[in-house]
Amino acid sequence: MRGKTRISLAALAAVTLLGAAAAQAETEITYQLWGSPQEGEVWQKVAQEFEAQHPDIKVKVEVNDWDSYWEKIRVLMAGGTPPDVFAMDAPLYPDWQSRGVLLNLQPYIDAEPGLLDDIYPITLEAYKTKDGYFGLPRDFQTIVLYYNKDMFDAAGVAYPNDSWTYDDFRKAAKALTKDTNGDGSIDQWGFWAEVVDPEPYWGAVVWSFGGDIVDIPHGKTLIGSDKAMQAWHFIADMWLEDKSMPTQEQLQQYGTDGFQAGIAAMGVSGHWSVPDYAPAKFKWAVAPVPKGPAGRVTGVNSAGFVIAKASKHPKEAWAFVKFAFGPTGQAELAKIGLAVPIRKSVAESPAYLEQTSAPIDHKLFIDALQYAHPKPVFRGYEEWSAAVGDALNSAWTGALGVDDAIAEAVQNGDEALAKNRQ
Amino acid sequence: MIRIEPAPWESRWPDRLAMLVLLLGAIAMVGPFIWMLSTSLKLPEDQYAGGLIPPTLSFENYSKIFEIMPFQTLLWNSIKIALISTFGQLLTCSMAAFVFAIVKFPGRHALFVLLLVTLMVPQQITAIPQFILFKWLGLYGTQAPLYLPSFLGGAFGVFLMRQYFLTIPIELAEAARIDGASLMTIYWKIYLPLAKPALAAFAIFAFLFSWNDLFTALIYLPSDLDKTTLPVGLALFQVQFAGKWTIMMAAVLVSVAPIMVAFFIAQKHFIEGVALSGLK
Amino acid sequence: MNFGLRPLGGEKLWVLLLLGPTLLGLVLGAFGSIFATLGLSFFRWDLLTTPEWVGFDNYLGLAGDRMFLRSLSNTLIFSLLYVPLTIVCAMAVALLLNRRIHGVGLFRTLYFLPVISSPTAVGLLWTWIFAQDHGVLNAMLGGIGIPPVRWLGPNMALYSVVVVNVWGAIGEGMIIFLAGLQAIPREQYEAAHIDGANAIQRLFYVTLPAMAPSLFFQAVLSTIHAFQAFDYIYILTRVGNGNSSVPTLVFSIYRNGFRFFRMGDATAQAIVLTAIIFLFTLVYFRIQRRWEVPA
Repeated sequence: MRGKTRISLAALAAVTLLGAAAAQAETEITYQLWGSPQEGEVWQKVAQEFEAQHPDIKVKVEVNDWDSYWEKIRVLMAGGTPPDVFAMDAPLYPDWQSRGVLLNLQPYIDAEPGLLDDIYPITLEAYKTKDGYFGLPRDFQTIVLYYNKDMFDAAGVAYPNDSWTYDDFRKAAKALTKDTNGDGSIDQWGFWAEVVDPEPYWGAVVWSFGGDIVDIPHGKTLIGSDKAMQAWHFIADMWLEDKSMPTQEQLQQYGTDGFQAGIAAMGVSGHWSVPDYAPAKFKWAVAPVPKGPAGRVTGVNSAGFVIAKASKHPKEAWAFVKFAFGPTGQAELAKIGLAVPIRKSVAESPAYLEQTSAPIDHKLFIDALQYAHPKPVFRGYEEWSAAVGDALNSAWTGALGVDDAIAEAVQNGDEALAKNRQ
Repeated sequence: MIRIEPAPWESRWPDRLAMLVLLLGAIAMVGPFIWMLSTSLKLPEDQYAGGLIPPTLSFENYSKIFEIMPFQTLLWNSIKIALISTFGQLLTCSMAAFVFAIVKFPGRHALFVLLLVTLMVPQQITAIPQFILFKWLGLYGTQAPLYLPSFLGGAFGVFLMRQYFLTIPIELAEAARIDGASLMTIYWKIYLPLAKPALAAFAIFAFLFSWNDLFTALIYLPSDLDKTTLPVGLALFQVQFAGKWTIMMAAVLVSVAPIMVAFFIAQKHFIEGVALSGLK
Repeated sequence: MNFGLRPLGGEKLWVLLLLGPTLLGLVLGAFGSIFATLGLSFFRWDLLTTPEWVGFDNYLGLAGDRMFLRSLSNTLIFSLLYVPLTIVCAMAVALLLNRRIHGVGLFRTLYFLPVISSPTAVGLLWTWIFAQDHGVLNAMLGGIGIPPVRWLGPNMALYSVVVVNVWGAIGEGMIIFLAGLQAIPREQYEAAHIDGANAIQRLFYVTLPAMAPSLFFQAVLSTIHAFQAFDYIYILTRVGNGNSSVPTLVFSIYRNGFRFFRMGDATAQAIVLTAIIFLFTLVYFRIQRRWEVPA
């Protein structure tokens, strides 16, 4: 979930939030997650409500940015002192689960009939294994199209709507790419997306052109198929020929997120961007992703909770997970607008739909589930995505042609898959 | 240190041409820093405007960096870690250098060569075992891995200090010996005080090395802004404030300035130290 | 090494104590690490599960690992450009400064500034200078009618990184060479002068041979630096997914070891890096020996 890789500053890093003073008899459990300090504060609130109901348990919440988070979890795990509860990204879950370091939650789930009834089934998918659940989803993210209304108005281009195809999208992006100050270099682009990880953009394009990403049972990377290649050429034409997307070097001059920096008229992202975009100086809104030759497809991914097998307080840890997974915890999370609750009753309630994060159509993110494919989840995902991403990067910088880059991506990807079969 | 006297063959070189080349080179060396200073004094909206002279002079970037990031904490962490490391290096390297310089013992030459060979061992090779060791000691996530290794000597420091100790006439030690001084006394009372210039030079080296070390800090303290050092803070800053050049240049300036000030104060020692390391 | 004092009876302990930290450092730091690293390179280990013996698999895997091969070739190209450029520039500056002109001290200080500046900080400064549309370098080129160059783009990034690294290293070499130049006895120049040698001949027959030890020292040092260069490259070439557009061996070790926790791959790469450095140093020693014999 690279979109969430916001490097958090100002305390950013370890915002260790301690609750009330600890009494001796209390059991203290730790919950670690990646995210911003604001996310840490929300979780601190959830933890306090939990503590009010369970006076004998204290929850220590710790937030780190994405990269440091995973390094830390690994080191703590290797040192035999993992956090009791920690956040999991669905694609990485099989890696952790297969190493036998996660607690099997199935017995706990069996003891609570009806616990999973209210949950969107697609979000549970990723955490299911043949031995039961070793994790539960916490929230989900569907990808939608964000657009800068001011730029559309200024260029006289009609706003994106749900009949848009990728061709309409490309045309609009071209019309929105401009040199607004007349200094001879482009300073406004029609579109920006991160095209390294499949989640924000390229996965959806490949799917909507009729291609697919991986075939895990056979250990094959499928992004080089004829249909997928049409998708890659679509992306490359828009980027390298129309030049309606900024290059990495161009983007670097303005920021890391082109839409947020106000240099791109359109962007694609999940709900996690809403709090980031909310303070923007321009007006913006959301629309469904465009349709491709194979229909409209977007991606869905979920973050979840896992409990370390080495936890000394599994019961207390489970109590916390159950609480945060439950209606109260989910409603609290819904309000901050970083993600969509996995609980139907909460997602379809005012807590989520009428959140004050930004005045946009929040229901769109739930509706997107109907045409969403889950982000690939398999053992070795991290290695695979790095291997594929490295090859893709060489296409976007112009070091390799698209066909060569994808061929390399497939080869790299297959090697990574082979290493992780067993 | 550098004394240049006129000589007949030197004047054949056209001095003016040399001066011109040196000036051009100096511009290339210093130009980036001047550009940094100029950008850091511009208003954010003027970052692309004007040339070297800010259209409106503004110091707001400097106050901003302290607001958006605990810069003072990072500065303090870097200073603290660098000072402890420097102390460790000065102490342990001068100890070993003293022994290599004036104490006779079997295998001295072999041991010294062995030590010099380690100059070639890249930091990356020590990084992984060291990481595992520190994790095992429970010191991951603390500042200790950044300064503890400094207390284990080091080829460069021993070499540098020994080089200087060798310039001290051995007769001094021998005379003290006749007066009944022990080795420790000779080290502490004679050699260390005499080696002040070399200690000063090496101190700057050791400080600089620790101050600038991004690799180790990235490994042990990748994001904990309460504990980590300035280089890591800057690397995080790069991501967070991409494109906000005026603020970024202010942050860069603040992190370069302390060393520059120290350099201007102590440059004589420092340059001698570098020269010393080059003598065979 | 026959000079010096013999420790008296009870002082042997003191000698050991004085040497202690350094000895421990040798055992733990350098040699222990080499053995530990070598050992780890025969395992597959992710820190979480028990290490699994894989023999030479990690090394064999490197031969087909495109990212590793790219890193290796980048590192070699980088070093082949960096070492001679640094030495030539530093020597040129030292020769120019080793004469009777005003402001030698000031020049020395200015040329030394990049050496003391934090590469992380200065790396950020260079990304600003190299920026494509608004960077000062392209603006200056634009002033004389040259279209903008993608300094950190795929074709130029490696060279841009070399330039920044050389820029940061000239000062150090300059000081070492200056010290060497000062130590050349003036009689040698006088003799050459009387023999009718011109400036160029004096440079090649007097100065450079006398500078051989400094040159040798600097070549070894620069090579070690070149193979270990990290900070500038990390800052200047970072891309989206935690990769670098100019990955070097050191970067690859860092990424495999501390980002992916592929300790086996990372240690195998570290061993390869060390072997290369040793090889180069060996070559230098050979060259130095040859040089000394006829002279």
